[in-house]
Amino acid sequence: MGKFWRIVVYEYSRNVFRRRFLFGLLSIPLLMVGMGLLFVLLIRNDVDTRPVGYVDRSGLLADPVSPPRPDPPDRPVEFVPYPAEQDAEAALQAEQIQAYFVLGEDYLETSRAELVSLKQPSASAQDQFRALVRATLLASQPVAIQERLKEGNHLTVRSADGSREVNESEWLNLLLPFFAGFAFMIAMFTTSGYLMQAVVEEKENRTMEVLLTSVSSQQLMAGKIVGMVAVGWTQLLVWGALVIAALLIGRNYSESLAALRVSPGFVAISVAAFIPSFVMIAALMVAVGATVTEAQEGQQIASIFTLPVVIPYWFTFQILSNPNGPLAVGLSFFPFTAPVTLPMRAGVTVIPIEQLALNLAVLTLSALGALWIAGRAFRLGMLRFGQRLPWREIFTRPGKRVAQ
Amino acid sequence: MTSVEISHISKSFGPVKAVDDVSFEVESGEIFGLLGPNGAGKTTIIRLMLDIFKPEGGSIAILGGPMSEAKKERIGYMPEERGLYQDIPLERCLVYLASLKGVKPETAKRQVGDYLDRFDLAAHKNKKVKELSKGMQQKAQIIATLLHQPELVIVDEPFSGLDPVNTQMIKDLLRDLNRQGVTIIMSTHQMHQVEELCERILLIDQGRAVLYGELDGIRRQFMGHAVLVRAAEELPQLPGVERVEAHNASQRLTLASGTSAQEVLRSLVTQGVTVEQFEIAVPTLDEIFIRVVQPEGGE
Repeated sequence: MGKFWRIVVYEYSRNVFRRRFLFGLLSIPLLMVGMGLLFVLLIRNDVDTRPVGYVDRSGLLADPVSPPRPDPPDRPVEFVPYPAEQDAEAALQAEQIQAYFVLGEDYLETSRAELVSLKQPSASAQDQFRALVRATLLASQPVAIQERLKEGNHLTVRSADGSREVNESEWLNLLLPFFAGFAFMIAMFTTSGYLMQAVVEEKENRTMEVLLTSVSSQQLMAGKIVGMVAVGWTQLLVWGALVIAALLIGRNYSESLAALRVSPGFVAISVAAFIPSFVMIAALMVAVGATVTEAQEGQQIASIFTLPVVIPYWFTFQILSNPNGPLAVGLSFFPFTAPVTLPMRAGVTVIPIEQLALNLAVLTLSALGALWIAGRAFRLGMLRFGQRLPWREIFTRPGKRVAQ
Repeated sequence: MTSVEISHISKSFGPVKAVDDVSFEVESGEIFGLLGPNGAGKTTIIRLMLDIFKPEGGSIAILGGPMSEAKKERIGYMPEERGLYQDIPLERCLVYLASLKGVKPETAKRQVGDYLDRFDLAAHKNKKVKELSKGMQQKAQIIATLLHQPELVIVDEPFSGLDPVNTQMIKDLLRDLNRQGVTIIMSTHQMHQVEELCERILLIDQGRAVLYGELDGIRRQFMGHAVLVRAAEELPQLPGVERVEAHNASQRLTLASGTSAQEVLRSLVTQGVTVEQFEIAVPTLDEIFIRVVQPEGGE
């Protein structure tokens, strides 16, 4: 194994088997699961499970048909018929029921019902009453017609070239780019933060000087960057595997999850955008680490590079409503905003191939430029113990006076 | 055969001339002393030799030619400011550093074990480096310098932070290495350590070479025309003696031109003085250092 790969393996294993990395790796999915469980618990505790009454003057519900059980976390509500509104009102005042519906004699003609309650009943209770009425209305129809009418409209939006389509049951597909972008940002920020901290520490505790008598500055810098990018991708792959496992399990319980389709094109664009972006940010972090004397100072400077990555989220509505508009296209060309903007656009539109190729070329060139800056900063700053390296020196100092 | 040939090298940092037209050679198999006060430019010369810095002028040949990546595996370097990974176990740190010098990890692990035993650090191999005492870290740094069995060892202030027992151990180790044919360049400002170990030295001050050559020759060069005498009684007037000064428990007699030490000894015996000690006054390296570094009449 060459020295470059030894550095890669060392940097990778040193970080991946650290407690702070494992904590970060598992804490995000656990946090998501925890939030999901909290959400379910809040809904379950918030839902009023008392029966709902009804007064049916139309005679429609004289022989009601049981509606299907609601999807979890909703719980089935019991429906109690009352012969007259006074009886239902008395039950409501006695808090035996949470609300009651009144179906007038002309319900079949008008489809209008009245809801009476002391406070707004849950949406689930109202949905279940509608399901009860619908099931009873359709009871005389053949099963196939019942099912079709219950499903309602199917609206599918298809791109002109036929390569992409979205329908309303696939709303989760729209959220996928957001989650992918968030995962990328968290992985990138944490690992490139570790990288910068390591460079500052090794510079200030003189480990760098020992290392440079064994390997070249290029080998050391490249090994560190590749090792840390591998750490970041480990994080992304583990999270990706957990999400896939969760989806495979969840699709048995949720129609929305079952309808989720991840297009290979979206994955390819995301990966193609994330890799050079990761290298670019990691290289800039190395440059920052080489120019400062304390990790905290480095983090403040690094925010110049990391904050723009978040900018596309500020313009989510504009990007989604006009994914091929000037703002979305412009953000795709800016290297710091491209890694989040491109997957966001790819989730809702077809990015013209020549434009995409240009976006990725800009990202790759930016990554190469960042590597050049990192190389210069690394060589000039690595032995300046306790001294800051002015950034202008990176660009102005002649290279021949520096160890290559 | 020379291990290092430095010819007229210079290096500046901004307006400061850290190394100014310095030349010297280090013979293979010798212990060479690189001396100078703090800030004289010793560490910069070492970094230039190791190709960490590029000189602005002059040439450097290491182990028979310009520095290369392959040659890094034949050189061991211990910097003045010790540099070990602080947050990982000692054994892992040493094995990794050895692997970067081209030693296979399994061989490195075996050698690390041997060295840790020899340096009484075996019980601490699983401790993080930052948990070790300063002396232990110093020994660990020396192990890192020697693990790959280098031909040329460069040690910068190797005794700083060590107690007398460990200082002696490091001296013995350097002598052992030298007997095995390893060339050693020792940079220090501790003159007595150089006197014990080195045959040849380069003394630099403010980036310039001020003394270079064999230690004995340099001493002779600064010997002056004087003798040290300790007698049981007060010394009488002696012919050919210009000045008498107290020198520790002895008297330092500065001789007039044309007067030899033998003549002074003969005068002492003739006058019935009980001579307890009589020796040619040879300056210590400390004295030479002060005389060279401090200008005449300086503080």
